Order: sequence, then C-alpha cells, then structure tokens
Amino acid sequence: MAKSALILCMDVGFNMSNSGPGEESPFDQAKRVIQKFVQRQVFAETKDELALVLFGTDSTKNPLDNDDQYQNITVHRNLMVPDFKLLEEIENQIHPESQQADCIFDIALNVCVLVENTTIHKLDRRNIVLLTDLNSPVSSDNLDVIIENLKQADITLQFFLPFPAEEGDGEAPGDQDRRGPGHPGTGKGLSEEQKEGLDMVKHIMLTLDEEEGLEQIYTFSAIEQLCMFKRIERRPMAWPCQLTIGSALSIRIVGYKAVTEEKLKKSWKTVDAQTNQKDDVKRETVYCLDDDNETEVQKEDIIQGFRYGSDIVPFSKVDQEQMKYTHDGKCFAVLGFTKQSSVQRHRFMGTQVIKIFPGKDDEHAAVALSALIQALHELQMVAIVRYAYDRRSNPQVGAAFPCIKQDHECLMYVQLPFMEDLRHFTFPSLENNSKFTPSDEQLSAVDSLIDSMMLVEEDEDGKQKDIFKVHDIPNPAFQRLFQCLHHRAVNPGTPLPAMESWLKATLECPEVIRERCQSALGEIKNKFTLTQVEKKKKLKTSAQIFGKDSDEPEAKKAKEDEADEEFNLADIAEGSVTSVGSVDPARDFRTLIRQKTLTFEEVCKQLTHRIEQLLGNKSTDYYMKSITCVEAFREQSVKLGNADLYNSYLQLLKSSIPTQGLESFWELLVQDGVTLISEDEVEGSTVTRNEARQFLVTERIEEAAAHPAEDPGDVDDLVRIVLL
Amino acid sequence: MADWTSYYRNEDEEEEQEDGEQSAGEERLTGRDSLVFLVDASKEMFIKGEDGAPSNFDMTMQVVRTVYTSKIISSHRDLIALVFYGTEHSKNPNDTFKHVYVYHDLDEPGAKRVQDVDALRGEKGAKLAAETLGCGPSSLGDALWCCANLYSDIKLRLSHKRLMIFTCREQPHGGDNVKDRQARTKASDLKETGVVIDLIHLMKPGGFDVSLFFRDIVSPPEDESELGLQLEPCEKLDDLQKRVRAKEQKKRATARINLCLGDGLNVAVGLYATAVTARKPPPVKLYRESNEAVRSKTRTFHTQTGSLLLPSEIKKAQTYGKKQIEMEKDEVDFIKKFDDPGLVLMGFKPMEKLKLHHHIKPSVFLYPEEGEIKGSACLFSALLKKCSEKNVYALCRCIARRNNPPRFVALVPQNEEVDDAKVQINPPGFNVIYLPYADDVRTLDLPRCTSASQEQVDKMKDIVTKLRFKYNDAFENPVIQKHYRNLEALALDMMAPEEVEDLIMPKVEQIDRRLGSLVDEFKNLVYPANYNPESKPAAKRKTADSGGGAEKKPKVEVSMDQIKVHVQNGTLGKLTVPVLKEACKQFGVRTTGTKKQELIDALMDQLSS
Repeated sequence: MAKSALILCMDVGFNMSNSGPGEESPFDQAKRVIQKFVQRQVFAETKDELALVLFGTDSTKNPLDNDDQYQNITVHRNLMVPDFKLLEEIENQIHPESQQADCIFDIALNVCVLVENTTIHKLDRRNIVLLTDLNSPVSSDNLDVIIENLKQADITLQFFLPFPAEEGDGEAPGDQDRRGPGHPGTGKGLSEEQKEGLDMVKHIMLTLDEEEGLEQIYTFSAIEQLCMFKRIERRPMAWPCQLTIGSALSIRIVGYKAVTEEKLKKSWKTVDAQTNQKDDVKRETVYCLDDDNETEVQKEDIIQGFRYGSDIVPFSKVDQEQMKYTHDGKCFAVLGFTKQSSVQRHRFMGTQVIKIFPGKDDEHAAVALSALIQALHELQMVAIVRYAYDRRSNPQVGAAFPCIKQDHECLMYVQLPFMEDLRHFTFPSLENNSKFTPSDEQLSAVDSLIDSMMLVEEDEDGKQKDIFKVHDIPNPAFQRLFQCLHHRAVNPGTPLPAMESWLKATLECPEVIRERCQSALGEIKNKFTLTQVEKKKKLKTSAQIFGKDSDEPEAKKAKEDEADEEFNLADIAEGSVTSVGSVDPARDFRTLIRQKTLTFEEVCKQLTHRIEQLLGNKSTDYYMKSITCVEAFREQSVKLGNADLYNSYLQLLKSSIPTQGLESFWELLVQDGVTLISEDEVEGSTVTRNEARQFLVTERIEEAAAHPAEDPGDVDDLVRIVLL
Repeated sequence: MADWTSYYRNEDEEEEQEDGEQSAGEERLTGRDSLVFLVDASKEMFIKGEDGAPSNFDMTMQVVRTVYTSKIISSHRDLIALVFYGTEHSKNPNDTFKHVYVYHDLDEPGAKRVQDVDALRGEKGAKLAAETLGCGPSSLGDALWCCANLYSDIKLRLSHKRLMIFTCREQPHGGDNVKDRQARTKASDLKETGVVIDLIHLMKPGGFDVSLFFRDIVSPPEDESELGLQLEPCEKLDDLQKRVRAKEQKKRATARINLCLGDGLNVAVGLYATAVTARKPPPVKLYRESNEAVRSKTRTFHTQTGSLLLPSEIKKAQTYGKKQIEMEKDEVDFIKKFDDPGLVLMGFKPMEKLKLHHHIKPSVFLYPEEGEIKGSACLFSALLKKCSEKNVYALCRCIARRNNPPRFVALVPQNEEVDDAKVQINPPGFNVIYLPYADDVRTLDLPRCTSASQEQVDKMKDIVTKLRFKYNDAFENPVIQKHYRNLEALALDMMAPEEVEDLIMPKVEQIDRRLGSLVDEFKNLVYPANYNPESKPAAKRKTADSGGGAEKKPKVEVSMDQIKVHVQNGTLGKLTVPVLKEACKQFGVRTTGTKKQELIDALMDQLSS
C-alpha cells in the first residue's frame, strides 16, 4: 500500500510570539497552518501517518534526551494516523513557550529522522515540514551531514516561513514597502539570525533539489490553499480483460474507472439523543397482513413474489436464481462499429466512464490497441461493445470512443441505453407556434447576452482561457459537510457555522461576467415580457399537503399514497362502518366521509372525540395514532374544501397544550409538519401558507394566527374531482 | 475489488429498491394514467395487404400487445382498456350499447390480458374475432359513450386520460349525418372531461382523408401546427409502433423550476427524464399461507427500555478521526441545503469545451413551462436558437430538488427533428448534461504506450469497415426480458418460459465470416509468432479462481495486541477483510456487516471505548 509519513516540526520558542502591533504572531499563523493541514488529513481519511515535534519547549521529551544537546524539544506525537484528539491537543495544549532551541536544523532533523524510524511500517514517501520564523540561532557545522542523511533516507523537506524566501534576498530597505501589509511578520524587517537562517534554508533546499528546491519554501499565507478539504482520491482499480472482435481476434486490455460520481464512504448513523450511543437505538421491521387487525406475520412465513402487471406471482429466491439470465462473465466484446455521430451525447447512460488501456507491460497488445484507436479516430467511428464486469453483474451495451492525447491513447467506454430505458416523449414544436417565435430584436438581445457571458476567452497569445472550470471545483457538498462536522467536533454545543465565503464564491457566476452582462440582461428584460401565472387551485396529494420534506424516503411517500388508494378498493368491504371506532379511527373517519351517511360535521365531531380520548393516555403509541387522526382530518378537509372545522380544532388543541401537558405531542405534530390548512390548499381558508407554518413554529400560545374562514369556497369543483 | 463493487449492483441491494420505488412514487403522486384502445372491427380492418402482409386488425393487435407488455414492465399501474366497435355482438355494462364490444375494461394489464390479445393475432385470431366479435354496423357515438362510462366507473383518481381510435375507414357511418353528429357530440363531451382523443389511421386504398369526419373528433394538437392531421396513414408495423409509442407515454416533468438568467430574470422550465435505467422491480413480500401481499412497518425503539423513540430522541452521527460527531436531524438537512431549487446561469462556453468523458449520470431534458411563467417559451426558444446557431452551451448551477446540493450542468441545445413520416425523433429543447466535480475525476497512472504504424492502422481500418452497422435503435435488455418471461411463464402456468434472444451477444460466426483472412493478416502485423493474447491472464485467472475458493482459505493470523495497536493508531484500514473478520471473532464483536468500513467501525466501537 502506498503510504507516506509526515513530520510537522513547529517552532514554539519565545521568538515566535513576537509580532508587530495588530499583526498575528508567527506562532498563531503557524498553528493555524498546522490545524488546517491536520483537519484535511482527518477528513480525507488517508492512511498517511503524521507526527508532531515541537521545539523551543520548556520541557524536554525526545528519544535523544539523554544527551545534553537535545534539550527543549518535545515529540508531542509519534507517527500515527491523525485524529480529532490531535486536533484538540493542537487547539488546547500548544502554546508559545519561553525557550529557544539551539541549532534547530541539526537537532530538529536528527530527532525527526529518529521519529521516522519509530514506525514499523514500510513507507514510500517521507516528508518533514518545518514551521519557524528562523529567529533561533543556527549552526551550519553539521549541515552537510544532515543533507547527506536526508538524501540517503530519501526524505523531502518543506519550509513554512512568515516571510517569502525570494524577496528576503534583496535586503534593500525599499523592499519592505513593496511587501506591504500583505505579509505579516515582515514589518520589522529580518533580523540577522533570520537572514542567516534563510540563507541556510536555501542552501539546504538547493542541495536537495537543484531545480525545484526553492518551490518547497512557503509562507504562512499558504493557508489559503489549505482551506479546501482534500478532494477524495480513490486508487483506481485495474480491470484486466480482453477486447474481442469475433472469435479470432483478441487484445489484452485493462480498464480503469476514469470519471464517476464520487460518494462519501461514511453515512449518517442513528444514535440515541441522550447517550449518543448507536447501540441504544434499534430499528425493527415487522410484517403484517393488510386486514383490519393488522395481523402480524412471522418473518419465516414470508415468501417473495413479483408483480406481473396486475398479477402477483410468487417466485422464490431459489427459483429466481435458477431461472435468471446467466452469462459467461467478464467480457468486452465488439458487436460492430458505427459512426460516432449516431451515438448521441445525451443518450449516455450509467454513472461512469471507463478508460481502456493495453494490458500491462504488453507491448504487442499496446500496438494492437493503438491500431484500433487510430483506425476509429481516422474513420470517425466508435465500437459498440458488450461489456460485463464479471459473472455476477448484468451485461450492458456501450460505446468505446477513441481518445488520442499527446501523451497517451485509450478507448473511452460509456454505457448506452437499453430499449426499456428510453421514454419517447413528444413535445410541441417551438417553431411552428407564432406565440413562441421570437422577433429579430429579441433574438439579437439574446445574442448579445451570450456574447457578454462567454466563459472562454482568447488571450493576447490566441490561447483559450477557461475562467470557470467545473472539474476543478471540489464537490461543495463534501466541503460543507466537513466544515460542519469539524465545527461540531471542536466547538460542541454551538450552532453550525455559515458556509465559508470562498465556497460560496466558487458557486457563483464570476464577478467579471456578472458586470459585463448587465446591459445585455437589461435589454432582455425590456424586450421580453415574462409574467408569473397565478395558479388556480390544484388538487394536492397528501405528501404536498403535509409539506413533507422532499428528501423523505420515497418509499414512505409511496406507502402513504398506497394507503390513500386502498380505501377506494376496500370500499365495499367496509360498508359496515357506522361510527369512528377506537381501533383505527383515521380509517373509519375516511370511510364515513366517503359513505356520506353522516354529515361532515358529525363525523368530525366523532373523530375529535376519539383524539381527545387517545391523548388522555399520554403515551407515544397513542400520540402516533392521534397524529394519523389529525392527518386524516386535515386530508379530508382539504379534499372537501372545508378548512373551518379543522383549523379551529387545531387552534383549540394548541391552546390546550399547557393545561393538558401535551407538549411532546405537539412536538410530534411540528415534526410531521401538520400545519393549518392554508389558502393555498383550500380557497376558503384565510390562513396564508406562511401563517400556517408560523403556527407550528411559535412555541408560545398566541392569539389565533389565522381566522377560520366564513366562506367554504368553491366546494363543488373540488368534490367533483375527488369523486371522479 | 472494493472499488468496483459499487458498480456491480447486487440484486437485493437496498439502493436498487429505492430507485425502483422512486420512479413509481413519482407517478403515484398525481394519480393513474389511463389509455383506451378503441379499435374498428369492421370487415375492412381484416383485409390482408398485398403479398400476404398482415391486415390492419392484425397489426393493431400486435401493437396493443406491445403496449400491454411494455406497460407491465415500465408502468404497471397504468390502466388500459380494449374496446371494439362496429362488431356484430355486443358486450358492455348492462349491454346498453349495440355493436360495441368491451374486450377489456379499464384495469392494470396482466398476464391474462396479454394472452387474450395474443389470441386475436394472426390467422387464428381473425377467426376468433369473427366468432366472438363479428362485423356489424358501427356507431362511433355509442362507442365513445361507452368509453366515457368506462372512465366514470373508475374510482381511482386518473391523471391522464387518452383514447386512441384505430381505424382504416374515413367515414365510419357512411355519411349518416345523424350518427356523425352524435359521434361529434360524444367526442366533445369526452374531451371536456379531459380525455385526449387520438386517431391512429391505418392504410386504406385511395388514402385516408382525415378532414371528412375525424378532424372534429380528435383533440387538437398541443401546438398550433396541423401536424397531427397531416400525418400519413400508417402502413408498416414499425411506423405504427412508433406512432403509438410516441403517444402512449405521458410525459411528466420530474421537476418544475426556474432558469435564472441573472438579476431576477426567470424562465420557467420543466425537467423530463427521457432515459431512466430500467431495473427488475423489487420483490413483493407475500404471506406463505395465502400468497397475499404483506405490509411492512418499521419502528425505531430504545434497546434498553423498549419504548418507541420520538424523532426528537434520535440524533444522527458520523465518526471521523476516531471521534463520533452528532447532529440533529434538521441540522443534517441544513448542511445539505445550499439554495432553493432552480437553475442559475453562469455563462456560455463553446461546444467543443464539453468533454466527452465528463459524464456522471444520464442527462435529462429541458422544456419551457408556459403555464408557470408566461413568456417562458418565447425566451427559451430564442435562447435555444441562438445557442444552436453560435454552437455554444449554457453552463448552469442546478439544484433540482429541495435540500439537494448543487451540481453544475451543461445545457446543450437540441433542435427539433422529425422523420419522413413526420413523427418527432428529437424534440426541441436543451439536454441537461451533468458535469463532474474535481472529486469525480480520478487520477490515473498512464501506462507508456507504443503507437501503431500506419500499415497496422490501415489493416484495422479494413476490419472496422467490414463490421460497420447502423446503430439507430437500442437493444432489448436480456436480463429484464428474461425476468419477465419467467414471470409470464409462472403467471400463465406455461411449461417453460419463452426463450429470450440475447441481442447483445456478438454474432461471432457472422463476424468471423465477414472478416475472413483480415484477422490473420492483422495479427501477423502486430503480434509475434509465439504470442497468445489469451494465455497470460487466463493462467493467472485460474489460480485466482481456485485460490479464492473455499478449499484454500489463507490462514489469517494477527495477534490481539497487533489489532489493539491498529485500533489505537486508527490504522485498521490497512488490514484485509478476512483479517478483520477474524479479529471480530477473536474479540467477540458481533457484526452483521461484510463491508470493510462496517467491520472497522464495529471493531473501533468495541475496542476504543
């Protein structure tokens, strides 16, 4: 496994706390750099190990302690995978201290090399990062030995300094003005030690790597680059196979997933709110018959079946396994070749692009595949192939496009749709409709908008420059999640922070474009008339009525809906319901309303009576039942376009919370989003959508936020639709 | 392998089930779709074409069957009815209408119905039709009235109602004005209740003149064009299939959102999923004794007290860096929310900047919603025209649903395209292509490549040219087809399921024959004499196969102490799955998980506390 080790080596000596007025001290800056860095490592969940060595500490704790020389150096943490404990320690335990470590390089590096050796693992990359202001005295006696050691151990070195290395060179007084306030720590100029130190740093770096050594010297302001959480890196897995054309021609290939929507490995777990223990929460699924008693069925008594249209066909797993489609497994077989243009971009299916390279270390395969790639490229064709990942997975059809780059050639495989996947929708033509045909003026307004909003421009050299590259943006969902998780871990008990400004900015239209398109945008506003259409009342489904979150599991929604229909089917069977009973009051309520033997008012009265009874028990089970009653009440009221009874009942209920001790029941209602019926849903209601929501939000009992409507509204219309 | 497993979907995987239900759920939200086939059963329909071509009736039954089976697969909850008119015998509720035969009333299609329709196909079918239906005088008015009753007998909420008339007679009443008028009245009644009436006119000698009678019967097309009526009558089965298919699927927007061009300038658009991966449907759980479907109820309760947990008594947590971090449920939503749903324009880019390999999921289709914001279609149309002219695409930020994190998308213009028979192939609008973020693009170690010589390339070009074919139509999915054949066989008590031809198998023999000596010539050019491309990996695979089997399980040995060290350092990830499983056993950690992360979590939970 490729793994690397990194030692953060931070100067905490007294010199680090010196700073000009109003400036952040080098110590604080260095600490922030370290924090950000460790954070990234923690969330990236790399297996890379990390150690923290402090020098300039008051105490001494390191493997070379017995020697007089290695004083004031503390190995805070040996090489291991970074975690939140380390982050907390950095936050709370690392302070500027009052000592100064002598000859920092000599000592620090020797310690580091030793620390490196503490790990038992094989490492393929070793790196030491030194954060210091170079104000400690340095000795260059052993420098060559150190460099030699580093080289031998193949350890790379990085420096973080409070000032830029390049500009430190000049030493001219004028330099300081040029640097300006942007580089804190430079305000007072460099001390003799710093100059000496810097020279030595450069010497070391150049000796280690003549060409790019100096690029490994950063300033503390490099923190900006560290703000971003690391992008997810997955090691590509090779998929060796053979590309076949007929039975006689095969080419050894290896496939790699090149592009795919990356998901986070971890998902949310449910824990108990008090103990925060996962084990305290258990989820259980029980099965029951669809009868009045909801008779429970044991798991062993359940078999599986499938729908074939209206029929349900029992089909056991064993039978299914035996009868299912089977194939020979792994394959990448050419079915034929076709024009590139006949494979349309918007017909790409699946969630990935696979790049196909020749088999590893196989020169002949490389030549053969190259011939195919170039042939396809020259003919502007693609291969249509049957692709199966392995025996267990379903085969698919896809297109293999030739891809020729300067440094490599490959085939790019994308899945194509099966006939069953396609939906052939026909849309009205936009051109044949005079109402929709834009005038020349309108067209030219759009034309100039496009011109003003081009994100790709040519610079003076005729080179194209793309100012908005999506594939360089880290997934904002991950960034935001990590930000919040980190905040919660380090600052427990405080509300979650706002989105970081840099993240917000990456999601917006670039400032240049926004300014440039203003006039064109204004022109469009003048030339086109856009008017919001006032919506007539739509009949809403239960999910919409309840204002349920759209991210609620779809399955649940579907079930609710099923429940809705089931009453229609069970219509006749339930003919005997005469009053709202206590077993399933919501169901009885619905049935009675449909039967219309009793008036709506009477049925509602029966229902509310049952709800009061249920609430009297004050236990969660009964609360749940009550909620289904309230929901049924609401749903039927909306259907019948009569909001008064429901709205006034809910208000009454709310006012009785303190006297009856129904706080937790109310909480449930709030969570389920069971609001007042707003005018959006029933025309007669004078409650606005906002008021309806507000009704739940306010904890204190206030004067009724909504007034029950006088006019039942356009009842006829709604009823007719319901009955259809 | 762990990396690839995400690609391979296990049949019982939860994810799949969710997906399956999601699409079904969408449709359920607004009620059921319904479709009535009203088929002319007059003598003219049974006349065979030249050279024994199938009769119009036969073709119609073929199409009806296809719709039945495809509905069973794609949207089994839709209701379909099959009604004949101009029959001799009558069969309808209470037998109110003469010469109208309701073969199937409005219901979900099932195996039995497919068989019924099958019985009406071909030579035998014509005979059966003559017996059961017979040919008699026709009254379209009665037929339409009867259909109206079918609709009103349905207790379910219907969202989309369509009626297709299949006929080859331009004047069903032979000029009887009273009957014509009655049919027109009934048609307009139906249209008023929201039924869309389509005419699928079939070939007849001398052409089919729609204007004689049917123009007043059918629903006007959605746009102003006369497109619907200028269509030529269908002659071939393919055309008929295509035309019916285009009509029978109700397009429904998966989301209606605003496309913001900037500064509050909004165009209302709808997103349409035009290609959705069809999967085997999730199994239904049945009670062994009665084969009736059971419902599942999931409850969350406290392990110790056994009491049900309220949503407020539950938190969500994730573990990073050995620390469990907790959030409230609404905080989890809060983190996901970036903005309200919508498309926000960032700017435009030339088409060539859209990289072929920037593909992460199937695209969706964008079409204006004039019903939400008036004027949308006009501005949309201008945008479409100009983007297409200038060969640019629009880059937008897209949030399709509430609490969805943003994705960037390319809006690629697509102009309308119709085929020779004036059936739309590509509708006008934008294709929405989802673009990858930095995290989604993987860094690959590029192998050093050797390039082929021109001679080798030319030989391959010969091979490619020999194997050219036209890729117009997608293939059938053998996995799904097989599944439904199996179900069909079980449902109809057939002895064995109908064979499914695997259309995505390469036709090896044909390919070999076409290529002839080209293969050897090419091989001589690129491969040395003793080279066998199949040998090496094959040998390797054999050992891997047997090695992975039960017979030779590698002995896993990691001491308890070592595990503890790993736990402390958070380096459990280094160990292999078998080692972790073994470790779980040693420490008495019970896990249900088999995934690496689950095993690690379980060990961490147990040992770090």
